[in-house]
Amino acid sequence: MNSVGEACTDMKREYDQCFNRWFAEKFLKGDGSGDPCTDLFKRYQQCVQKAIKEKEIPIEGLEFMGHSKDKSESS
Amino acid sequence: MKIWSSEHVFGHPWDTVIKAAMRKYPNPMNPCVVGVDVLDRSLDNRGRLHSHRLLSTEWGLPALVKAVLGTNRTLTYIKEHSVVDPVGKKMELCSTNITLTNLVSVNERLVYTPHPDNPEMTVLTHEAVITVKGFSLGSYLESLMANTISSNARKGRDALEWVISRLNTEFEELVAPP
Repeated sequence: MNSVGEACTDMKREYDQCFNRWFAEKFLKGDGSGDPCTDLFKRYQQCVQKAIKEKEIPIEGLEFMGHSKDKSESS
Repeated sequence: MKIWSSEHVFGHPWDTVIKAAMRKYPNPMNPCVVGVDVLDRSLDNRGRLHSHRLLSTEWGLPALVKAVLGTNRTLTYIKEHSVVDPVGKKMELCSTNITLTNLVSVNERLVYTPHPDNPEMTVLTHEAVITVKGFSLGSYLESLMANTISSNARKGRDALEWVISRLNTEFEELVAPP
């Protein structure tokens, strides 16, 4: 599956692989702590946000979403 | 405004269906979905996983339809918010289009829960509200769209079955004796 930003597809696939493993083996089994994919996600997210701005896709509150992710990581 | 709803039972336990739902695309039943991105993901203070995703869809509209819609853009975008509660075993997904909003608005809500009588099965309730804007043929078009949503919903369920059988094959290959 591709990303909305062509340059982000490889990052997306790497992140998806990490997330799918964590989701199936940890999160669904009741262990939601210690998400190992945060660094991968940060890089991928930055790329996607840039692509969204360039393509002028009307997503509201994108910057806000970035902040709420940081908040939940620190809590 | 048109409201459409359906209920479907999968012959698989909730965990299996949810793993497939998170990896639904790409699949051969929904070829129009050409891109999926995660915009944001976080755990809330109840341990539920929230995901905000962007879906890029390419409808391959015929030239006449493009001319009527007055647009050359054939890529449309959908915003999706899902919440997975691993303890309460409930996944709720809401989606809405964020392009062509001056013409139509399609809001969908899908809820996956274990079957109340059989934990090896999963119930999906699927609702959609369709509103065609400022158009005298509005209610006719809304009915057409409800039919499209119904047929897409069927494809969506077939897609999950396809993903589930692929995941099972991958697993069998992993654990197969050498």
